[in-house]
Amino acid sequence: MSAIPGFMKGLGYTFKQMFEQKSTYDYPDKPLEMPERFRGIQYLDVDKCIVCLQCERICPTQCIDIQGKPNPAGKGKVLESFDINFEICILCDLCTEVCPTEAILMTNNYELSVYSRDELFKDMKWLSENDTKIRRGDA
Amino acid sequence: MIDWLHQPMTFGTFVWMALFAVLLLVIVLGFVTYVIYFERKVIGWIQLRHGPTQVGPFGLLQTPADVLKLLLKEDIIPKLADKPLFILAPVLAFVPSFTVVAVIPFTDAIGFTDTNVALLIYIALSGITILGILLGGWASNNKYSLLGGMRSAAQMISYEIPLLLSVLGVIVMAGTMNLRGIVEYQQQMGVWFVVPQIIGFLIFLIAANAEMNRSPFDLPEAESELVAGYHTEYSGFRFAIFMLTEYVYMFAMSSLIVVLFLGGWLPPLQWVPGLQFLQAVPGIIWFLLKFVAVVFYWLWLRATMPRFKTELLMKFAWKVLLPVSLLNLVATALIKAMV
Repeated sequence: MSAIPGFMKGLGYTFKQMFEQKSTYDYPDKPLEMPERFRGIQYLDVDKCIVCLQCERICPTQCIDIQGKPNPAGKGKVLESFDINFEICILCDLCTEVCPTEAILMTNNYELSVYSRDELFKDMKWLSENDTKIRRGDA
Repeated sequence: MIDWLHQPMTFGTFVWMALFAVLLLVIVLGFVTYVIYFERKVIGWIQLRHGPTQVGPFGLLQTPADVLKLLLKEDIIPKLADKPLFILAPVLAFVPSFTVVAVIPFTDAIGFTDTNVALLIYIALSGITILGILLGGWASNNKYSLLGGMRSAAQMISYEIPLLLSVLGVIVMAGTMNLRGIVEYQQQMGVWFVVPQIIGFLIFLIAANAEMNRSPFDLPEAESELVAGYHTEYSGFRFAIFMLTEYVYMFAMSSLIVVLFLGGWLPPLQWVPGLQFLQAVPGIIWFLLKFVAVVFYWLWLRATMPRFKTELLMKFAWKVLLPVSLLNLVATALIKAMV
């Protein structure tokens, strides 16, 4: 008998819940907005890179391969090739932390499924063309 | 249609009745399909999600897709199962559930029978389903099925007694077991039986919930506890028959509640003068509205309450519902004798 008020309260609560806003997402019909700090695949700004090789050194899985050549116009080095083996990149963000010139940054792009494993080997051209939704916050 | 029942049967009326029976079967099957969809939607909304939305517009084709899947599955019969009983059990469970729909009057003109023992037929036939469920649990040769079947039989038998006793109050007041007569008595009284027989109504609601093996009384088919109770070993079409049984009982029980306690096809609030215009709306619309309200209550309750334990369930039936329904009956009889 003493359970009756609790029971009615429970029914009232579930009835009101029917009209609350739903907590499900309509992905993939609607795009899923990620917060600004979300770490997706990297973006490379080729002109800013000074080929210091710090990102290659710090990468925990050693997925970055860099080839540099002496700068034909002036001092220092410029990039000849920059490859990220995306099969083993863990998106840990350490390469962006150590980069002194902010040449390499993370973006918010996570829709990266491809049909062949060859396409997972991201080269310099792909990384510099990947310039949407770059994460510039506190990199 | 009722007039045909009071005349000698001709070939024409026989054909028409057969066609209407087929139409009723189609309507009941359509109801089952869309009550499953509606249940998933309502429970989804209560749980802050959408329910089926992808298959067909607004997810309306979800249940037909599920039924098609069930129909196309392989028919597996376990090697050591008792084959004739295994095949018989779903049939024995389903046939009474559709048969009892014949005694329910939908409006004052639409109805398939007009007997003076309609309520007795209903309660008696719904007992055969218990046998089908017990048989399914035994014939599966599986300890979970046997446990589920036993629990289900115990639960359904225990709750049949308060079910019938709570209705006896209505019968004592109306003086007849004829369902049509009960609705007409409510029309004479001016109020529906839910008002004078409120205790009987609440007991009937709880006992009907247990009869239908629905949450919160669904331990026999507890999905997370007993695997699937008595329909563990059934797959494909046989499982579809068990599921159909449960939902056709929802149709039959809800219709019975509407007829007995909520005034059948009568418009509401007739005791308020000036609302006579409500009688212009056809009776079937009132029946449908009340029916939808009762069905919504079952779905709402399913999403709200957790499951009862078996011993709590049995204690509740024998120690609480039975004495209260007996007291209700005695009080009704005393008041009727004195007034």
